[in-house]
Amino acid sequence: MSAYKPRFGRVVPTIVLVISGLFFLAPLLTLARFALQNVPTILLGWSTLFDKWSISGLTKAFDDPAFWPALKLSLELAGGTVLLTLGLLLPTAIWVHMRIPKARALIEFLTVLPYMIPAIALVAGIVVVKPHARWFLDSDYALIPFYVVLALPFTYRSIDAGLRAIDLTTLVDASRSLGAGWIETLGRVIVPNLRAAIVSASFLTAAVVMGEYTIANTLLKETLPRFQRTFTGREPQAGYGLNLLALLVTVLLFAILSLVTKKRERSLISRLSRKPT
Amino acid sequence: MTTLDFISVRKTFGPTVALEGLDLNVRQGELISLLGPSGCGKTTALRIAAGFEFADSGAVHVANADISRTPAHKRNMGMVFQSYSLFPNLTVTDNIDFGLRTRRMSKTDRQRRVGEMLELVELTAFARRYPHQLSGGQQQRVALARALAVQPRVLLLDEPLSALDAKVRTTLRDEIRRIQTEVGITTLFVTHDQEEALAISDRICVMSQGRLEQLGTPTEVYRTPTTAFVARFVGSMNELSGTLSGPGEVSVLDVRLGAPHATGATGAAVTLLVRPEDLTLAETGLVGSVANVTFQGASTLVGVRLDVLDRLVSVDVGQGAADHLTVGDRVHVAVNAANAVCETVSQ
Ligand SMILES: Nc1ncnc2c1ncn2[C@@H]1O[C@H](COP(=O)(O)OP(=O)(O)OP(=O)(O)O)[C@@H](O)[C@H]1O
Ligand SMILES: [Mg+2]
Repeated sequence: MSAYKPRFGRVVPTIVLVISGLFFLAPLLTLARFALQNVPTILLGWSTLFDKWSISGLTKAFDDPAFWPALKLSLELAGGTVLLTLGLLLPTAIWVHMRIPKARALIEFLTVLPYMIPAIALVAGIVVVKPHARWFLDSDYALIPFYVVLALPFTYRSIDAGLRAIDLTTLVDASRSLGAGWIETLGRVIVPNLRAAIVSASFLTAAVVMGEYTIANTLLKETLPRFQRTFTGREPQAGYGLNLLALLVTVLLFAILSLVTKKRERSLISRLSRKPT
Repeated sequence: MTTLDFISVRKTFGPTVALEGLDLNVRQGELISLLGPSGCGKTTALRIAAGFEFADSGAVHVANADISRTPAHKRNMGMVFQSYSLFPNLTVTDNIDFGLRTRRMSKTDRQRRVGEMLELVELTAFARRYPHQLSGGQQQRVALARALAVQPRVLLLDEPLSALDAKVRTTLRDEIRRIQTEVGITTLFVTHDQEEALAISDRICVMSQGRLEQLGTPTEVYRTPTTAFVARFVGSMNELSGTLSGPGEVSVLDVRLGAPHATGATGAAVTLLVRPEDLTLAETGLVGSVANVTFQGASTLVGVRLDVLDRLVSVDVGQGAADHLTVGDRVHVAVNAANAVCETVSQ
């Protein structure tokens, strides 16, 4: 009995890990096969596992004249959304933390609302005001405010957690007593100490923008997700290839993100272990 | 002349009155401690001086100029906080340099000043470390160096030693005092530790519930407290109940004591507050038995339970004087009430 237990303790987590790994990998693998093997779909079985692989499925979208403008627009939207989000959110979150800490729970609840209310509700609202706000909605960048709202549940939490991790009031007071005004304090004290939170908030925002379809479609903006949708309708194989590529790029970005945010901690640790004299 | 004056400063937080018309005048180069129990408004007073909070009414003057409306970053005051306040992303050097950069000093001037400050707090060897690589005491020394680097007009310290352990606390306390005298800076030092206040201050401002109770030198506050609150809060006190038997005279049981500070109607019930060192073991006096003997190094405290009052008093006896005493011994306690504070007991 007693010899059995520890082995049981190791086996179960391994099994769970393998099963959940398969659960994630299997669809990806089928996606990869569909996108990258030049074999008719009905023939995709075990016998054809190694036949006719080619990366042409991945790159075909690049030849479409609509691809590059769509990518450019989506990247611009992502950048704009990140800037606007940080510009609005940082001062607000700091102010809430310093002046009305009791309201933090309420603010947190408010920022989660966009997550609970489906995007289609926002769309319904847009449809109503659309005829009256042409001057604004005609611009491609009109999507930015909507995306700021959509990303709010993720960005606010990230910034909020960052602020909780530092003794904000004391750091700000110390900075001001040393002669730094609010702007200087923000740039020299708060932002450097919130770096990880700001980076992850930015990535999350970008991820939301790069994946949003409903609102872009309502406002008829040629963003990347919308291009993907139409392109996949036209060219299913290359369309899924593009999806796969987007997935790989995202994974890569998040890997870089975790490297960037951990790098400083690691360099601190190595400096510590070097034992200064 | 850099003086710091509080003029009828009042501050409320909703229903809480944090400061109730505080008047205080800190002289050039002087160190005044704000001493009082938790919640009496010490931090609030300091934060109003620093400009982090603004008074509801009243004014703060530095060098006789009203700075009540000046924002914190233009006040040129150095501040050391209770919690560790160093910027975690900056090294010791860069922390000390922070305020100098703000003042747009030239690089060579800044380097020289940082070097001087590191020497002043004796941390030159730690210049390139990050705050989390320092002990609590070292962090507070860096915080002091950072505050002094910009040559502030006034130094404000909010319980800078309270997070440190006892040994470090006393050394750093003395070091703060040494540096403060060396620099000659006008200083306000907040503490709730009376021993710390007695050791470090030119004058002590004892506060209670947002008011100034007594302002005086450590000796004055300790030897001649003006109110029962100050008497109880600073140092330890024995409480003897008795009756006022004439002007300047209190009877405790059948023992008549000369208490020059006793005032009130003859026959009134009073409590006499007497320091342990004003009690002596003698041939005559209040009768009781020894309850405990506490060796304290230089002196010994003898706890005596008085027979009739059923009260435990502590008597400070000199070195060796308690050697022959054991618990249960019958003794007489003589009272010197010359400095005793007399509090009228309300019926
Ligand atoms: N920002 C605030 N909001 C509401 N009440 C406050 C605030 N700051 C202080 N107070 C209240 O004002 C009173 C005085 O507080 P203060 O911090 O000045 O006390 P203190 O003497 O420094 O106490 P301690 O020794 O515990 O630090 C307290 O009752 C406190 O609860
Ligand atoms: Mg306090």
